Amino acid sequence: MRQITVFQLSCIGISLFITFLLVFAIASLFLVPDLEDVWKNLWSDEMRFSLKLSMLTGIVSTLMVMVFALPIGYALSRFDFPFKGFVKTILDLPVAFPELVLGLCLLLLFGNTLVGEVFRRLSVDLVFTKQGIVAAQFFTALPYASRILKSTFDYINPRLEFVSRSLGYTQRETFFNVSLPLAKNGILAATVISFARCIGTFGTVLILAGGTYMKTEVLPMTLYLNISYGNMGMALTSGIVLTTVSFIAIFIFEKAEVGI
Amino acid sequence: MSFVDIDNLHINLGEFRLNGVSLSLDRGDYLSIIGPTGAGKTIFLESIVGFWRPDQGRIILDGKEITTALPEKRHIGIVYQDYALLPHMTVYQNIAYGLKKHKPENMDEAIRRMAGSLHIDHLLHRKPTTLSGGEQQRVALARVLIVEPALLLMDEPFSALDQQTRRRARLLLKAAIRDHATTVIHITHDLDDAWALANKLAVFKDGRLLQMGALQEVFNRPKNRFVAEFVGTGFYRGTVVTGKNGNANIDLGGIVIESLDQAHNGDAVNVAIRHEDIRVTRSKPAHANGVNVVNAALKDIVPEGSSSLLDLRVDNIAIQALLPHHAMRRLDLHRGDHLYALIRKEHVKIVHFESQSNGI
Repeated sequence: MRQITVFQLSCIGISLFITFLLVFAIASLFLVPDLEDVWKNLWSDEMRFSLKLSMLTGIVSTLMVMVFALPIGYALSRFDFPFKGFVKTILDLPVAFPELVLGLCLLLLFGNTLVGEVFRRLSVDLVFTKQGIVAAQFFTALPYASRILKSTFDYINPRLEFVSRSLGYTQRETFFNVSLPLAKNGILAATVISFARCIGTFGTVLILAGGTYMKTEVLPMTLYLNISYGNMGMALTSGIVLTTVSFIAIFIFEKAEVGI
Repeated sequence: MSFVDIDNLHINLGEFRLNGVSLSLDRGDYLSIIGPTGAGKTIFLESIVGFWRPDQGRIILDGKEITTALPEKRHIGIVYQDYALLPHMTVYQNIAYGLKKHKPENMDEAIRRMAGSLHIDHLLHRKPTTLSGGEQQRVALARVLIVEPALLLMDEPFSALDQQTRRRARLLLKAAIRDHATTVIHITHDLDDAWALANKLAVFKDGRLLQMGALQEVFNRPKNRFVAEFVGTGFYRGTVVTGKNGNANIDLGGIVIESLDQAHNGDAVNVAIRHEDIRVTRSKPAHANGVNVVNAALKDIVPEGSSSLLDLRVDNIAIQALLPHHAMRRLDLHRGDHLYALIRKEHVKIVHFESQSNGI
């Protein structure tokens, strides 16, 4: 058996301490409220609206994120092109950006500007609308998905693609025959994490789409609005729903990551 | 015009590069490429198959220029060291992959026939990750041979195999290549691969082609010291002292040996002698017709598989001889022994200096 050092014990100790702290914090979310109250709140009009809107916008945003993240992740992994470093930095920026600031930037872009006007002419109004929720979720989740997919494609041996092309397949056919099937675990992981990010996005949605009761009210907004009114039951219920979605996402992500 | 014509190929990928590589191959030629790691061998293959666009130069295959053609349009097959089998497909699907593109009739029959000829017909339902190295190698070979490529490129396909499997793989490859009359370029680190399979040999170093020619020619007459050492040939500097009967006596700096090659008096030359062309005896032979006989001291013995390398000293000149084990046992050699090295005159090859020789 390997010798246990003080350093080793300290590292393990810190890990366990923080884990226990988080476990207690999350557990309190499930232990504090009255379960009968939670069940009743789940079926309230506000919660049903919020849950439905969250799921709907979350699914649409996740699909859009994946449609864009796949080519971005592949391009960053496989191709050299001018300003690649700049592109990578800008695409990653929202990961480190405060959500409220990102929301503000999007509000300015899609507000009374030429870009906003072009979108409105195409019947896409992103300010204080449900479409705005999708846009906010999209920009928040995209960097996470493109990062996961870039790493996924990095792990796939480019020689597999070389061989496919030498056997007569075009670059596009090779992408669909070889790269995409081999990236399936990464795609699943990116989808799940994107969905969790979309469902949980608060700051960006609040600034771009607004937090209007029963209009642009997604789950984080329900939590925020009900805390503001002092309605702890509803706030805790939305917290429980959000946490459950996150748990399921992380569980699937961990399972998928093993196969990347 | 040759079947493959590569003219003045230049590629710079930073860490790896090719500097003006030119070579030609006839249809059915089997070229082995050897050279140290980082010599540009893999880049060379990958530029032929179309994964790198050359900065300069031309590649012509069967009369058509393919320098800038897309890889899928070249009809050139490649087998990598790690075989690059598609892990999400079965062996059957891997072999069918290239063939499916052309949708021939009797595809199933062709796949089973190819699998049978390479003894992998019992593995068709398996995934590549469950196969041994030798089995994977045969699947990779089946996948490329079944599409009958105009040119087959192989990047150290035997390097991950043990000696026994490697021998069997060579036999199978040789038969398969013969059946399809395929033109092959094969990178290897093992000279036995070249001896077993190739009719031509090329030596690369630092992105340059140092020498290319018929296998025997490169082994027997390496152009410079680097090539000589790489192909296991002794390389010595000397001066032609007297020429008689059209032959040449060469002073290697203490000993004088005779060659059947022709040279002029006073010529500074290099002399190449294959290690295995030097015989060793304990007693001086009574007759030495056609043979150079020199006194030698045995400095060291290095066992090498089925033979041993003897490090001999003739005056101050180091000469290496390769002796099979049965000869070693018969002679019962020990370090410090005084011996006679016998070198047939026709095995002493004179290599004239080249103005731009590399690696001397």
